[in-house]
Amino acid sequence: MSRPPSATRYNLRIPHMRARTSISLRAGWLTSFILAVVFLAPSLLFASSLGDTARQLAHKIATDAGPGAFALEVTNRSSLDDKSVREVRSALETELQVEGVHTSKAEQAMGTVEVVLSESLREYVWTASIVIGSDERKIALVSLPRPPTGAPFAAAMPIVLKATFLFAQEQPILDATLVEMPGGSRLLVLNDAMVALFRQQASSPTPRWELETTLPISHSRTFPRDLRGRLLLRRDHLFDVYLPGTFCRTSSIAGAPLTLTCNDSNDPTYNDPWPLTPEDNGVRAFFASSRNFFTGALSPGIGKISTVPSFYSAAALPRANYTLWAFAAVDGSLHLVDGVTDQLLRGVKWGSDLAAIRSSCGTGTQILVPESGDSERDGLRAFEVPDRDPVVASSAVEFDGRIVALWQDSGGASAAAVVRRKDTGWYEAYRVSISCSN
Amino acid sequence: MRHIAYRFLAAIRSARVGTTACVGTAALGRPSRAQLGSCLLCAVAITPLILSALATAETRPRYGGTLCVMLQSAPETLELPPNAAPADYWDAARTLALVGDTLVKLDVQDHPQPALAVAWQSDPSARHWQFTLRRGVKFHDGSPASPASVAQILGALHPGWNIRASAESLSISIDSETPMPALLAELALPRNLLLKRNANGVPIGTGSFLVAEWQPGKLLKLAASEESWAGRPFVDAVEIEFGKSLHDQAIALELDKTDVIETAPQAVSESPGHGASSSSSLSVSLPVELLALVFSANSKAQDPRLREALALAIDRKPIQSVLLKGAGEPAAGILPNWMTGYSAIFSAPANPQRAGALLADSRPPALKLSLNLSYDPRDPQAKLIAERIALNAREAGITVQVSLSGAEDIRLVRIVLPSPDPATSLSEAARQLGLSQPAPPATPAGNPLEDLYQAERSLLNGYAVIPLFHLPVACEASARVRNWAPDPLGDWSMSRFSLSDVWLADPRSETGSR
Repeated sequence: MSRPPSATRYNLRIPHMRARTSISLRAGWLTSFILAVVFLAPSLLFASSLGDTARQLAHKIATDAGPGAFALEVTNRSSLDDKSVREVRSALETELQVEGVHTSKAEQAMGTVEVVLSESLREYVWTASIVIGSDERKIALVSLPRPPTGAPFAAAMPIVLKATFLFAQEQPILDATLVEMPGGSRLLVLNDAMVALFRQQASSPTPRWELETTLPISHSRTFPRDLRGRLLLRRDHLFDVYLPGTFCRTSSIAGAPLTLTCNDSNDPTYNDPWPLTPEDNGVRAFFASSRNFFTGALSPGIGKISTVPSFYSAAALPRANYTLWAFAAVDGSLHLVDGVTDQLLRGVKWGSDLAAIRSSCGTGTQILVPESGDSERDGLRAFEVPDRDPVVASSAVEFDGRIVALWQDSGGASAAAVVRRKDTGWYEAYRVSISCSN
Repeated sequence: MRHIAYRFLAAIRSARVGTTACVGTAALGRPSRAQLGSCLLCAVAITPLILSALATAETRPRYGGTLCVMLQSAPETLELPPNAAPADYWDAARTLALVGDTLVKLDVQDHPQPALAVAWQSDPSARHWQFTLRRGVKFHDGSPASPASVAQILGALHPGWNIRASAESLSISIDSETPMPALLAELALPRNLLLKRNANGVPIGTGSFLVAEWQPGKLLKLAASEESWAGRPFVDAVEIEFGKSLHDQAIALELDKTDVIETAPQAVSESPGHGASSSSSLSVSLPVELLALVFSANSKAQDPRLREALALAIDRKPIQSVLLKGAGEPAAGILPNWMTGYSAIFSAPANPQRAGALLADSRPPALKLSLNLSYDPRDPQAKLIAERIALNAREAGITVQVSLSGAEDIRLVRIVLPSPDPATSLSEAARQLGLSQPAPPATPAGNPLEDLYQAERSLLNGYAVIPLFHLPVACEASARVRNWAPDPLGDWSMSRFSLSDVWLADPRSETGSR
C-alpha cells in the first residue's frame, strides 16, 4: 500500500458561509499530529536515504582519490530541491573529512572532484569525476530510488465537498467501500481479479490498512477494456460484486470463513442486471458484458418506462411522490426520467460518470459530476436538480489525476471515487461526502 | 409550441432556483438589502461556474469507428527487418504490435509487465527461465496460444535457446548455456512478437487487431478482435496507409483525412504542446534514437587521436538549435540520460584547442588526409548535419568531404535504442553500429550501474563511434482521437499508449466527413 497523499481534501467554502464548529480543540491538535506524522515521516526517511547515499559516494571517492586536499564541485541536474542539495553536499564533505579527503580551493588542491547529482527515470544517479594531476580521471557512481511525487491540491467554492483518501495501489481499482465488521473497520477494494479485504491497524495513528484476505474473482469471459465493477454491501450477507457478465456474492453462513462465489456464462446475452441504487430491491439495469455501458434495458422499469438510451451511469433523485432519474447516455446527452416522460437535456454536457449522494443540505440529494481540468487533473462538483434543470451546488474538489470510477456508496450518503494519478499512474480510492455549510 | 413554452418555463424556474439556492445559503430569515446584494453577486458568480462545469465534463471511452493512420515506410512484407532504418523500424514495430503480443512488456522505467505470460521466474544464474502463459488466449485463426505453439515460434526466432513446453502447467521454459539476465527485456522487443504466418505471409497473432486486408506497400486494414484477451479495442478498425511522406501526412491531418500521423520532432520544439493544428495532440517520446558518426573498418582515420580530435571539433549545440530546431539533446555517450542517469560523465563540449593538440601528434598527419563522410540520403536532415560536421572539422584542421560516392571513411548513422532496459539498448546499439558486443559484467552480483557504465565506456574507447545526439520520435493525432497519451517509448506497444486504447469522439459522423 502506498503512502496517503493527504488524509482529507475539501473544496473551499464560499466566503459568507459560517464555519462549522464541531471540531474540538483537542481534535484539532490530534489532527495536526496526524498530519505531521503523515507528511513529515516520508520526508525524514527520504532525507536519511540522501545522507546514506552521500556517505556511500564519499567512501567511493575517498577510495579512488586517497587522502589529500581536493576541490569539490557539486552540480545538481536532478529534481532535488536546493535544501536537499545542501544536505547532500554537507554529508559528502563530512564523510570525506572522516575518510581523510579534505576539501580546499582549486589552487591549493592536488585534484578535483566533480559531483553531478543527476537522475534517470528510475533512480537518482550521482556521479563523481575524480581528476588527479592532468591525466588521471576516475569515476564513481551511486544511485538511490526516486520517490513518487505529487502535491495535494484544493480548489475553491459552495457547499462543502469532502474527499477522504482511502487507499492507493498500482493495480486498477474498480470500486472501494468501507464496512464495519467485528474487530473493527474493513476496507474492501475491488479490482479485476479479486476483492481485497483490509483491516485498519488499530495501533497506527494514521489510517493504515493491513491486508487481511483476498477473495479471487473467477470468470470465464474476457472483461472489456474499460472495465467497470461495483461493490455493494448487503444485509443478509457481506457484499455483492457486479462485473460485466459476472456476478459474485459472499457466503452468508455465520461463523464460516468468508468466501466469494461468482457466476458467469459464455452466453454473451446472459447477464445479471446491476442495481442502480444501493437498495437491493430498486431499479436495475443490464450492463453490456463486452462494453463499458448499460444497454438501457431496465428491470424493473421506472414507472411506465422500461427502456432508456444506452447509458454509462445513473443517479436517482427522490421526490415527494416519485423519483427523478438522471441518465448519462452513451451519446453524451443527459436524460431526466420521471416514470412518465424521458426528457432530453440538450446542452448539458455532464460526461459519463454521475453519482447521487444523500445529504441534509439543499434538496437532500446532490449529483456528483466529474469535470476535466488542465494537465489531467479532474475535479468533482455537486449539482442539484431542484426542478428540471441542474444548478451547480458546490465548487469542485480536485484530484491529481483522472477520475476513472464513481459509484454511490452502499449507504447512499457518500460516493467512492477512483482516481488515476497523473504522476505515478497509481490508483487512489476516495470517499466523497457532503457537508452542509450552514 | 408546447415544447417551447415548457423550455421558457424551465428557464424561469432555473433562474428562480439559482436565486433560491443563494438565499438559502445566506440566511434563514428575510434577506436584508446587503444580503440580497451579495445574493445577486453570488448568482452572477455561479453562472459562469455552471457554464464552465457543463463545458468540461469528462466522458468514458466510446466504441466504434475506423482510425486512419499514415506512415512513412512502404513495406512489402509485414515483418520487422533485422537492420531496418529507424523510420522503417518504428513503422513495422507499431504495426505489428497491433496484431501480436510479446511474452512480456517493459514499462518506461524498465519494469517488466505481463503480456502473453502472466508470471515468470529464473534461477539465480539466469540460465533457466520459466514463463506461465495466459490461459484461454487464441490466435486470430482460432488456434490456441498453447505452450507448444509459443515455444515453436520462439524457437524459430532463437535457435540457440533450448525451449520446452509444458501443457500441464501451461508454461514454457527457456534454457541457455550462458546467463540471460536481460531475457525479459529481449522478449519485450518487437522482434519477439509471437506471430504465426498464413500461406501469404500475413501475420496471425493474439493482439487487439487482426489483419483484414493487406496491400503490400500501400494499405493495411485491421479489424478489432472481439476475442482479444485484453478486451476488445474501442475502435472497430484501423486503416494504415503506407508510403506517405511527412509532408503528405501533415497535409492529410490538416484536411481531416487521417487521424494519426508521424511528425518530425523538431516541429514539436517549435510549438510545444501543439502541432500544426491547434486542436491536434502531439506525442513526443523520450530520446530513443542515437545520431552518431561511425568509422568504417578500413577508414583512413585509424589513429584514435585523429578520431578524438574530430569528436572535439564538432560543436553540437548549433546543430541542435538550428538544424534539429531544438529537438533532442547533445550526446557524448551511447545511452541517453533518462536510461542511465550518468550521461554527464561523457561530456560533449567542443574543444578546438585540444583537438589541435591531438592532431599535431596523430599519425599519419591529419593534413595529408581527406576523409569521406557518407550519410543516409533518405534522412532529410542527414545531409545538412553532415555538412555542418565537415565545416567544424575543417575549422579544426581535418579535411572531411561529404559524399555518397567512393569509399566511406565515416558514416553519419541514426540508430534505434529499442528498449528502456539500458543493457539491452546498449547491446542493440553495438549491433547496429557494427561494434563488438559489450562484455558481460565481470561479477553478476556486482553493481549494475557501474557494470553498465564500464560496458558503455569500453564501446567508446578508441573512438570507433562518436555519439552526436539523442533524438525523440513524434506522432500527432487529430482532435477526434481520444485517450491519446504521449508515448514515451515511441513504439505504441504499452497498454496505455497503444492504439487499442484510443477511441474516436464522434465515430458516427465519420462516414459523412470522409
